Amino acid sequence: MNNKWLVPIVAPAVALVFAFAVAALALLLVDVNPLDAYQSMWEFGTTTESLISTVTRALPLYVSALAVAVGFKMGLFNIGVEGQYLIAAPIAAWVGGVVDLPAPLHIGLVLVTAITVGAIWGWIPGELKVRRGVHEVISTIMLNFIAIGLGAYLLINFLQEESDSLTVATPLIGDSGRLPSLNPVLEFFGIEPRAGFELGSFLFIAIILGVIFHLLVTRSRFGFDLRASGVNAPAARASGVDPNKMIVRTMVISGAIAGLVGMERVLGFFHQYTSDFPRLLGFNGIAVALLGRNHPVGMAFGALLFGFMDRSALILDLEGVPREIVTIIQGIVVLAVVIAYEVIARILQRRAVKAAAAATGELAEAT
Amino acid sequence: MLRRTKTIIALFAVLALIAAACGDDDADTTTTAAPSGIGEGRLIGMAYDVGGRGDLSFNDLAALAWDDGKVTYGYTGSELAPTAGGENREENLRLLVDGGHELIIANGFAFNQNVGRVAQENPEVFFSITDDCALADDFSLLDLENVACVKFAEEQGSFLVGVAAGRTTTSNVIGFIGGVETGLIQKFEAGFVAGVAAANPDAEVLIRYLTQVPDFSGFVSPELGKEAAVAEFEQGADVIYHAAGLSGLGLFEATKEQNDAGNAVWAIGVDADQYNVLAAQAPGLEQYVLTSMLKRVDVGQGTVIKDFLEGNFKKGDNIFDLSVDGVGFSESGGNLSSSLVTEMNSFKQQIISGDIVVPTTP
Amino acid sequence: MDQAPAVELRGITKRYPGVIANQGVELTVMLGDVHAVVGENGAGKSTLMKTLYGMVQPDEGSIKVNGEELKLKSPKDAIDLGIGMVHQHFMLADNLTVLENIVLGSEPTSRMQIDFAGARKRILELGDTYGLVLDPDTLGENLSVGERQRVEIIKVLFRGAKILILDEPTAVLVPQEVEELFGSIQELTDEGHTVIFISHKLDEVLAISDQITVMRGGRTVGSVSPDEVDAKQLAELMIGSELPSPETRESTVTEVVALHVRNLGITDPTGRAVLDDISFDIHEGEIVGVAGVEGNGQAQLVDALLGIVPITTGSLELAGKDITGWPSRERRERGIGLIPEDRHRQGLLLPSPLWENAALGHQTVEPYATGLWIDRAGARKQTAEIIETYNVKTPGVDVPATALSGGNQQKLVVGREIMADPEVLVAAQPTRGIDIGAQADIWEELKKARASGMGILLLSADLEELIGLSDTLHVIFRGKFVAELDPKQLTPEILGSYMTGAALDEAS
Repeated sequence: MNNKWLVPIVAPAVALVFAFAVAALALLLVDVNPLDAYQSMWEFGTTTESLISTVTRALPLYVSALAVAVGFKMGLFNIGVEGQYLIAAPIAAWVGGVVDLPAPLHIGLVLVTAITVGAIWGWIPGELKVRRGVHEVISTIMLNFIAIGLGAYLLINFLQEESDSLTVATPLIGDSGRLPSLNPVLEFFGIEPRAGFELGSFLFIAIILGVIFHLLVTRSRFGFDLRASGVNAPAARASGVDPNKMIVRTMVISGAIAGLVGMERVLGFFHQYTSDFPRLLGFNGIAVALLGRNHPVGMAFGALLFGFMDRSALILDLEGVPREIVTIIQGIVVLAVVIAYEVIARILQRRAVKAAAAATGELAEAT
Repeated sequence: MLRRTKTIIALFAVLALIAAACGDDDADTTTTAAPSGIGEGRLIGMAYDVGGRGDLSFNDLAALAWDDGKVTYGYTGSELAPTAGGENREENLRLLVDGGHELIIANGFAFNQNVGRVAQENPEVFFSITDDCALADDFSLLDLENVACVKFAEEQGSFLVGVAAGRTTTSNVIGFIGGVETGLIQKFEAGFVAGVAAANPDAEVLIRYLTQVPDFSGFVSPELGKEAAVAEFEQGADVIYHAAGLSGLGLFEATKEQNDAGNAVWAIGVDADQYNVLAAQAPGLEQYVLTSMLKRVDVGQGTVIKDFLEGNFKKGDNIFDLSVDGVGFSESGGNLSSSLVTEMNSFKQQIISGDIVVPTTP
Repeated sequence: MDQAPAVELRGITKRYPGVIANQGVELTVMLGDVHAVVGENGAGKSTLMKTLYGMVQPDEGSIKVNGEELKLKSPKDAIDLGIGMVHQHFMLADNLTVLENIVLGSEPTSRMQIDFAGARKRILELGDTYGLVLDPDTLGENLSVGERQRVEIIKVLFRGAKILILDEPTAVLVPQEVEELFGSIQELTDEGHTVIFISHKLDEVLAISDQITVMRGGRTVGSVSPDEVDAKQLAELMIGSELPSPETRESTVTEVVALHVRNLGITDPTGRAVLDDISFDIHEGEIVGVAGVEGNGQAQLVDALLGIVPITTGSLELAGKDITGWPSRERRERGIGLIPEDRHRQGLLLPSPLWENAALGHQTVEPYATGLWIDRAGARKQTAEIIETYNVKTPGVDVPATALSGGNQQKLVVGREIMADPEVLVAAQPTRGIDIGAQADIWEELKKARASGMGILLLSADLEELIGLSDTLHVIFRGKFVAELDPKQLTPEILGSYMTGAALDEAS
């Protein structure tokens, strides 16, 4: 087998099978036939509407995973994506709701606002780490609480539009600030989903972000410094990388991407920020980043997998099967994938060492 | 303590329906005399809000109406509850539409935008939303032919239990605990404060909300409820009213602990008749429940279901106030003196007649 | 001698895919002997010792310990048989005391509690018997290198070892510490222990061993008595050819100052001066050596020159420009190269491909970068050139650095730094832990760089290397340059006495 594909395909596949097997045991314990449950999940999950919903669910998860992965690449754990998008979304939505500009500018302004707010919220833990040595895990978790509280405060006191409604929401964004649906494109190809299922053009933003991520991390000088810092911080430092600047810049970039997590819902669906805006996207992004090994394509698959499972789980309620089984599967998949990657990576490294030894006739130091 | 709390929650979940049924003595005032069997072969769906069946609150009350209707009229259907974050409310509605349901109950104000979209796309399906009907996206739900809005005059019921609190307090300090600071819960607060003031102008009301929008965990966190209750008792309160869903359990526990320690204090329940609920599921806690503000989601949704099956679906506002016993107070446990009940009933008449207008905002 | 040998290995063969680490290796160690195993890195010494310690299972061959043939499945089997190993890299926990470090993993219990009192007594006894003096309550982080080694040896003895394997025990020690270690080894063998001593410092081997086994290319090429051979013969036996020497031929020192350092000082947060008033010049074409016992400020000096740590006082000039305030990146871009003392820690990205490793430290300049982007093609081409020029043995530029032997890794590091043609090259321990062949190659490259006009600062623990390569030699002691010596008139012994401060005491 070609080694290049061994890790990214075999590891998740093994993990997935394992996770479904464990969940099957759990289902048997509650007297549900796992095959029936999986079959109905599959049938429901692969309808046109469900596939659109899967992609729609995957988009914010993917952006969230990208934000997390930038930090991971240099060994920074940005647990604060949750807070970064939950503070960026209401402010950006409000800006979108109170201005009126031509379409591209309107959308652009909302995106730039989200990026800016997310970047600021990511900058704080970076600066705290550099200046005061506060570990970013601690500060980002704390800032999550602050972001949620501050977001609510701003929403209720400044950003909400007065209305008779009991739901608290920012003013609606006008038509020029709404991302168009891609359904006409689907219809062109003869795919006509039922009303209420729209493939959003945020898809393109997510793809562009993935490409930028790839270029930034693997092709740019910044990315080299980033990865070097992650692989071996003292060596990166000796090579001229200023670790403090690196930490701050990385947290700012991570936060900037995180700011966009909520934009699919804001620009493509709600057209405002409401009190029941989806949460936990930041935390689930961590799982997707782990699942996709911080690779832009891997994370796309990870996000789609999570989206698919979330969507197909909906049918379980109607069948009287505990939907939580899907959460269990997701948890086990992440855990199992991390372990499987580690095991296979070690095997591959050993092979590389042996191959080099074979080619040069000298044993590596590592053996 | 946490362990005990969890045990009780579990118990609640299992027994909620039985209890709700127990507390149903005076429920048959409006849902009566429909010809049995008119629902045969028809589908009515139920979309709960966060918490779902077993929340001891508005979800259970809606479930009660829905379950009763199945027996009475013979319809069938599916019920769905959203995730803890509520992100899939709209998808649940769509699933129910796809399942062929003719009437779908969307049990909570958080559904309003979702109902707005789904109802527009499916004009042949009827929706009944609990609590709020104001704006959905850029049009009003009230304009839709296929949406009914079940609203309650919570401030009126809260006014009456405020009277009870104002008359019962000896410390002249009264507590209010709201689950989440939303406009809806502020209606409870406003009515309650007005009721206290009407009965006892010297009394002070301490106001506490457990969480802020968009954090809705204040409705499902007994720990937070207890913390708030303990704080208010320490500030001298001797009667506390909660509008905090499942978090109210913390209030009842704190109340029992205060009484065990020799301080005579009272709790006032909300939505369901919580004296009966507690008596069935957490015996020992119920005796300190002075009264409960009844918000008869069962009456409201039961009425909509009946009207729908009889072909009298009424779009827009369906308001349930004191005059139709859509709200009220409970006397279970006998902790309200008969003179107090008389006084509360006289306030009730003044409200119905319009002599007293209860404020809806604090 | 009618006693069975303590260790008898016969026909040991261990194959890895594509490489034979050991082939028909024979080793007989008599009871109570100090038996040296010598050979270049990659000669198979480590594999052989791992075999004896149960970490590696041989494909062929037999192992006899005290005359009994057996199989060792794990180090635990070896420990049970009384075989102990002191690794080259110490494995002590910094935040535990000596006592806790020793007890760790073999906790003696008395009624479910760790019997620290008993362990302490035992450690003091062992220390007394074998001249391994230690304070059981010192924290790991406060131990000197020599003390760490003593802890490791006592740890092995504490577990009841009768046969001790010492892997390159003198690599990290100064001459005086080596003397003490040898004293302890003598005590051990007097008490009936057997010591297997792995080294490639041949003078030491000759001084201490009762018998020497020489390995080359995975085979044993001979077993000799120290009386029969001298160091030169032994080395030639090891490498199978003539011995290289570090000596430089004629001076290439110019009058042009490449690096001008004045009054350099660093004060740590506790107010202690870790570098104190250091001044020196490096001229183009000059190798300036810095000798010193490890931990006397060498690491800080390197960090200060590279701009990795801020300096408290002093100034730096590179080719006439004041660089005192420059960040490390600019210093690297503008002409300071670094061969770090620990290539794994500061010099390489082990899991990353070679071409990225070649770019490390030069990732902002051509041919590794164009503008804000990494030039992958340029970097690969440059890496291939380094591999070619500096004789790095590797299957390609895309293999991870970890797959290379230590010598080849070091050649890559040296190659990338010299190829970048810096004004000044800071070379810390450039030949540490690599075999003689690679060592000779690196010496040759440093000499060539010097001849081409590069200024080189050489920090080394290998005194012969320092004396042989340097044009000027400074001694660093407690953060100060305490003596400037003429390498032409020095022996390692004299230099060693300066390094420990002994010569200074005599002088004052």
